[in-house]
Amino acid sequence: MTAFASADDRSLLDLLLVAAERALGDADRDSAGVDSVYVGNMAAEAFNARSGLANALVGGLGMTGVTARRVENTSASGASAFQSAVAAVASGRSERALAVGGEKMSAADTATATEIISRITHDREYEQGVTLPSFGGLAAAAYLRETDADRRDLSRVAVKNHANAYANEYAQFNKRIDGDDVLASPAVAEPLRLYDCCPTSDGAAAVVVESGSGATDDAVTIAACESATGTHAVADRADPLEIASVRTAGERAYDAAGFGADAVDLACIHDAFTILEWLEMEELGLAPAGRAWERTRDGKTDLDGELPVNPGGGLKARGHPLGATGISQVIELVWQLRGDLPDERAVEGASRGLAVNVAGFGNNAVCTLLEGDA
Amino acid sequence: MTELLECRDCGRRTYYEKRRCPECGGAAFDAVPAGTGELLSVTTVHVTPDGVREPNALGLASFPGGANVIAQLDGELSIGDDVRLVGERALRVTEDGPLWGVRIVAAE
Repeated sequence: MTAFASADDRSLLDLLLVAAERALGDADRDSAGVDSVYVGNMAAEAFNARSGLANALVGGLGMTGVTARRVENTSASGASAFQSAVAAVASGRSERALAVGGEKMSAADTATATEIISRITHDREYEQGVTLPSFGGLAAAAYLRETDADRRDLSRVAVKNHANAYANEYAQFNKRIDGDDVLASPAVAEPLRLYDCCPTSDGAAAVVVESGSGATDDAVTIAACESATGTHAVADRADPLEIASVRTAGERAYDAAGFGADAVDLACIHDAFTILEWLEMEELGLAPAGRAWERTRDGKTDLDGELPVNPGGGLKARGHPLGATGISQVIELVWQLRGDLPDERAVEGASRGLAVNVAGFGNNAVCTLLEGDA
Repeated sequence: MTELLECRDCGRRTYYEKRRCPECGGAAFDAVPAGTGELLSVTTVHVTPDGVREPNALGLASFPGGANVIAQLDGELSIGDDVRLVGERALRVTEDGPLWGVRIVAAE
C-alpha cells in the first residue's frame, strides 16, 4: 500500500500502480502470473475526472488478456474488490487475482467532497442536507443516552486509534492526542467533534490472492470473506443503534470460517466515526450489546489488550481513502498475523484477525476473517 | 409529504419510498397520515453541504406502524418529545431551485 496522506501529489492511477507493484513484490509474484484484477474505487469520476480505472491499471502494469473490472461499493469498495478476487480464486475461475483499491480525495475541496459523499443517501435523506457525520451524531446521541457511557469515553476511541497510528509509517496522522484535544476540536455533528471523524485521504492498497496449493510459506489464509446489505435509508432501521449489514456479514463470515467471535485475536473495525467502533463491535459479537464502551474504557481494545481493535490506527488515524480502506485493513491483518511489524506496534501472538469495511452508514458491509499459522 | 407509505399487504409503514415492501415484498402502498411520533435522537450538524442551513438541527423520530424518519428540526426539541411532521418546507437550495420536504416539529 501507499502511505495514506491528506494530499498526495501523485495521480490516482499512479497510487494504484505503486500499491499493485508493492503487493506483487511482497508476494514475490510477477504480474505475468495474475489472471484477474479487481479495482475498488468509489468516485474517481467525481473526485478526479478519471474513468476506466481497471483497464488503465492493467495497461500500466503491462498486462493483457486478463479479466479486469472496477468494483464500486461506496466506502466499502476496497473490501468488495477483495471479495471479488477471493470469489474468483475460490471458484477456480482465477489462479491468481490482484485486488487493488484507491481514492484521491484531495482533488476536491471540502464542500465538493461532502457533496459527493452525501450523494450516496436516499433522496429523502439528501433533501434534508444529511451528511454521513449526521448519522454518526444521531447514533452517538442515542448511545450515550441509552448506556452509561459518557462523552469522554467516546474520546478514548479516537485517542487509542491515534496512539496506534503513531508508530505506523503508513498512517496519515502520526500524532498522539488526548481526551482534551478531542473535546477542544470543533463540533461536527453533536455530540461528535472533528476528532471523532475520519479525515479525507489519498492512498491506495493492494493484495495478491491465490489458491493454497502454490502459496508461499508465510502466506495468510483467507478463512472467510462475506458481505450483506442493510437498509439504504438509515431511518428505515427499527433501532437507531442497529447496523444489520455488519451483523449479517459477520455471522456469515463466522459460519464460513468455522470459528466465532471468541476466536478472534484482533480486529480492524470501520471507525469512520468513533461511535461506529462500538456499534460494529457489538454487532460482530466482539462485545455485548451496549457494552463495547466498557471495553474501550478498560483498555481491552488497546494494542496490548484482550482484543486489540484498529492496531494500525483505523480510519480515524490511518486515514480513509474510500476505495483503499477495505484492502488496507486486510494488509494490516496480514502484517500482524505474519509478525512483520516492529514490537511497538505489534499485537503479540495473534493468529486470527477480523476486518469489517462498511459502505455508507451501514448500507452494506464486508467481513473478512484471516488466519495465520502462529 | 407528511404522509407515510403503508404496505397494502402487511401494513408495514415507511417514509422512504421504494418499489417493494421490505417486510413482505408487496408492491402497493397507501399514503397515510404520519400521526404523532417520538423523538429518538437529535444532532446539530455544523458542517453542511452547500445550499443547506448551517447549523442544521436534525432529529430521528419514530412514528406509529414502525416508520422512522430523519428530518430537520424546527424549534427547540429534546429526545423523548412528542413530534409531528410538517411540510412543505424549503430544505436545501440547488441550481434547479429549492428542494422541498418535511420538518419535525413539536406535536400540539
